[in-house]
Amino acid sequence: MNDPILVAENLQKFYQMGEVTVKALKDASFELMEGEVVAVLGPSGSGKSTLLNIIGGMDKLSGGKLYYKGTPLHQADTKQLTYYRRNEVGFVFQFYNLMPNLTALENINLSVQISQNPLSAEEMLEQVGLSDRGDHFPSQLSGGEQQRIALARALAKNPQMLLCDEPTGALDFKTSIQVLKLLKSFSDIYNKTIVIITHNTAIAQIAHRVFYLKDGRLDRIEKNENPLPPEKVTW
Amino acid sequence: MFYRKMIRDLKENKGAYLACIVIITLGLLVFTAFSTMVETLQTSQQSFYENQNFADGFVQVKAIPRDEVKKLKDIEGIKEIQGRLVKEVMVLKPESKKNVYLRLVSVEPGRENPINAAFLNAGNPLEDKAMNIWIDNKFFEANNHNLNDEIEVIASGKKRKLSIVGVASSPEFIYSLRTAADLYPSPETFGIAFVPLSSMKKLFPDEKTFNELVFTMKPDTDFDKVKTKLEVKLKPYGLKSLIPRDEQISHLLLSEELKGLVAMSKAMPIMFLSIAAVILYITLKRLIEQQRGQIGILKADGYTSQEILFHYMSYALVIGLAGGLLGVVAGAFLSYPLTSIFQVFFNLPGLEGRFSWYLIILGIALSLIFSVLAGYQGSKKVLALEPAQALRPPAPIGGKRVFLEKIRIIWELLSVQGMMAVRNLTRNKGRSLFIFLGIMFCFAISGFTWSMNDLMQKMMFDQYERVEVYDVKMSFASPMNQKSMIRELTAIPGVSHVETMAEVPVTLKNQWRKKDAVLFGLSETGRLYNILDDNYNKISPPKSGLLLSERLAKLLDAKVGTKLNVESPMKAGEKDGVLEVVGIIPQYTGINAYMELGGLQDFLKQKGLVTSCMLNIDKGEVASLRDKYMYTDTISSIDERNQKLDMFKEMMASYGSMIYIYALISVIIGFAIIYSSSVITLSERSRELASMMVLGMTPQEVLSVVTFEQWCIGVPAMLIGMPMSKIFMAGMSSAMSTDIYTVPERITFSSLLMAFVVTGASIWVAQRAAARKIRSLSLVEVLKAGE
Ligand SMILES: Nc1ncnc2c1ncn2[C@@H]1O[C@H](COP(=O)(O)OP(=O)(O)OP(=O)(O)O)[C@@H](O)[C@H]1O
Ligand SMILES: [Mg+2]
Repeated sequence: MNDPILVAENLQKFYQMGEVTVKALKDASFELMEGEVVAVLGPSGSGKSTLLNIIGGMDKLSGGKLYYKGTPLHQADTKQLTYYRRNEVGFVFQFYNLMPNLTALENINLSVQISQNPLSAEEMLEQVGLSDRGDHFPSQLSGGEQQRIALARALAKNPQMLLCDEPTGALDFKTSIQVLKLLKSFSDIYNKTIVIITHNTAIAQIAHRVFYLKDGRLDRIEKNENPLPPEKVTW
Repeated sequence: MFYRKMIRDLKENKGAYLACIVIITLGLLVFTAFSTMVETLQTSQQSFYENQNFADGFVQVKAIPRDEVKKLKDIEGIKEIQGRLVKEVMVLKPESKKNVYLRLVSVEPGRENPINAAFLNAGNPLEDKAMNIWIDNKFFEANNHNLNDEIEVIASGKKRKLSIVGVASSPEFIYSLRTAADLYPSPETFGIAFVPLSSMKKLFPDEKTFNELVFTMKPDTDFDKVKTKLEVKLKPYGLKSLIPRDEQISHLLLSEELKGLVAMSKAMPIMFLSIAAVILYITLKRLIEQQRGQIGILKADGYTSQEILFHYMSYALVIGLAGGLLGVVAGAFLSYPLTSIFQVFFNLPGLEGRFSWYLIILGIALSLIFSVLAGYQGSKKVLALEPAQALRPPAPIGGKRVFLEKIRIIWELLSVQGMMAVRNLTRNKGRSLFIFLGIMFCFAISGFTWSMNDLMQKMMFDQYERVEVYDVKMSFASPMNQKSMIRELTAIPGVSHVETMAEVPVTLKNQWRKKDAVLFGLSETGRLYNILDDNYNKISPPKSGLLLSERLAKLLDAKVGTKLNVESPMKAGEKDGVLEVVGIIPQYTGINAYMELGGLQDFLKQKGLVTSCMLNIDKGEVASLRDKYMYTDTISSIDERNQKLDMFKEMMASYGSMIYIYALISVIIGFAIIYSSSVITLSERSRELASMMVLGMTPQEVLSVVTFEQWCIGVPAMLIGMPMSKIFMAGMSSAMSTDIYTVPERITFSSLLMAFVVTGASIWVAQRAAARKIRSLSLVEVLKAGE
């Protein structure tokens, strides 16, 4: 566990809905370290996705400060955020969001093409165990397979941080474990930071730290001295 | 509740709906404005023809004794026939550098309901024997005359003062051209004057005969039968031409113009409304797909399919009604200025823009029919959707390989975005086809209008810059002797070169096909009148045999080698003979035949006969030449080439603005098609596009997937647009060509270039406009929900 790569101070996110202001995120302060796995837990509507989107440069802050490797992201414009996402961040969502008219391999190549030091697309395909399915279109793949391709696509960019919003939300137990194993090994091998949002407390067991969100507030952070290897997790 | 939903839904896709409304508005604007104008023109034309007793036939003869005319009335089918004396005179206008002509037409003031009666707009009746005239109102206005002004003319070699007592118009000169080759009226330099016959006798004491006849026919009479009988009777009097109303210049040009307007008033709105209908259809279809979940819930709640269908169709109804009303109102207003533009060229009294409820209602109905049909087609899927099925997500979009992938070399050159774009081409075939057709039409419209413009210019300027290159042309009142004319004219100071020519009215016959034309006799070594082929190579006139203009050859179905029967009132001895066609040449104004002058004289058995001459002369000497010959009987007109060129330049400038209107139309169509389909594509693929942005692609990179796809359709569409504009042009050419001018079928290179620029620019601008949508795409929101 080495240096912090992301530092957040009093993050705020408000949504103006006519008269009412929805405070989706209030005063969240934390650090993310290189190579660590963080799980984010919290009831629905507690601000998990909001937090992840802000860390990932998908949404702008309403207040507070956010530094990535010393660069102030809270002052970044849309273009700078685009390049931040392009070069530093990988996303995985509950819904796989693959391009329906690109094959599995081409989907991975889509992100390889825009990265500065990408990993090999074929290699990533092999890592997610789908070498033989590279020629298939998303509609010809199962949900779990699609999620593994989406993961390979995010990883192929070789991002410093991988942000996952309920990556296993739509998957069965077995496939979920597969995906988690991939995530974990990526973090171990390449020393990357991974943030996983989940509703499943069992999954949080693999993380080094667990963030608990409540009503838009970062309620507490729990340190997990002995993270479980994914294959040991059950629910 | 439904009303609120509608407003919100409309707002969401406002770009596409606005494009629809704009196009419907434009379509109906053209429809209402042009139809109103056509209706106004047609009714004015008809009532004017009727009230003034417009002739059914027009005859020119050398001379016919006045008493002989009455006898012709006995010919079966003729209702009335009248003789008249028509003479062209030069107007003395020392202050004007231009040659000004008045055509004097004899009238008989006492006569009841004469044929081609002049309609008195202002002023007093004509008095017999007095030197008083009515002149046509265009000439009157163009020369700033007042009633009781006097005009000085040269008649029979004498200066005469004519007093203007009235301003009149005649059905015969609604569009008045001095010669058919002029194409545009020039009221400043040419006018019509109506003169009492008794006064004409004083002006031209030598003329004791008529030189023109006009007649009306009994209902249901066949013109050709009358013509055959008249021809026999008139042969002794030197029949020059005998034409039906349909070939009379003014009537012909007015009808052509009306035909064009009618075609415009139908074709343009249909095109616009079809495009709007397709956009509406695509937009609604997309909306239904997007809202299938909502539809499922509504159905589950117990709304009937019809209620829901009606809800979606009401969108189309609102769009159609909005566009329809706007267009109809704007069109009704526009018809007034349009009608007055028309009045610049056509001298039709009683022309007033009018407001037609019938057209307004028809227009709105038209717009509603198109949009409701489109709406129904777009939303009929609602009917088939079972609630359970509607609540389930739609089948996933399957990727498909496309043909291009087989060509590995090209395929591998593409970036992954490029591959997406290419595969997207087949993803929504109907929409791709729509874009393809739309852009093709857009290209063809601008390509062909620009070509028209280029060719019109070419037609005009070639004639006076390459074909007729004299400084001055003098036409003789009656045929003269070649040698003595050359001798006389060469002696004039400033004249450096003289060429004589003969312009002989002939009737050409090839079996049953028959055409009146003018046969030109040109000297073989001449250089002031050039016969040119398509590549501007000079062709010398043949000593024996004829050269025919393309159109004349077509009308006579003659080819090189065809033997034509040629008949002419100027021929001595036998009135007809046979000449062989030895060549066919391009010619865009008039229909003519050509021969070498000596050969023509031999054929006519008229040694040394010439009817006009062309001169090269110092600029400074033109005025004194004019002064010298104006007073002589022998010269009927003096034309300067520069003057004609200037006139055309002026006319082209006003015609040029039409081109920009067409260009604007094609830009609007191109823009609307690309913009609306971009907007729909963007909303349909917002999820994919947002995913790409999450990956860190810039909005430009994301947009390029969509734009690349559009260019993949657009570029081939423009390429196909090239032959398409050629087809348009060919259609236009056959529809517009008359004996007066021929529109070539060619498409010019510069016009294709222009079409590329115009179409390309409208695509590009539309893409820029659509790009704004991408930037405002909220990643978080798009990706939050499942499919
Ligand atoms: N675009 C928006 N406009 C208004 N309010 C929003 C918007 N997005 C989120 N919110 C609100 O912000 C709060 C946090 O939402 P967020 O999506 O972060 O919750 P979450 O913890 O991810 O919930 P879930 O587990 O259901 O995904 C919610 O109260 C939500 O209603
Ligand atoms: Mg969430």
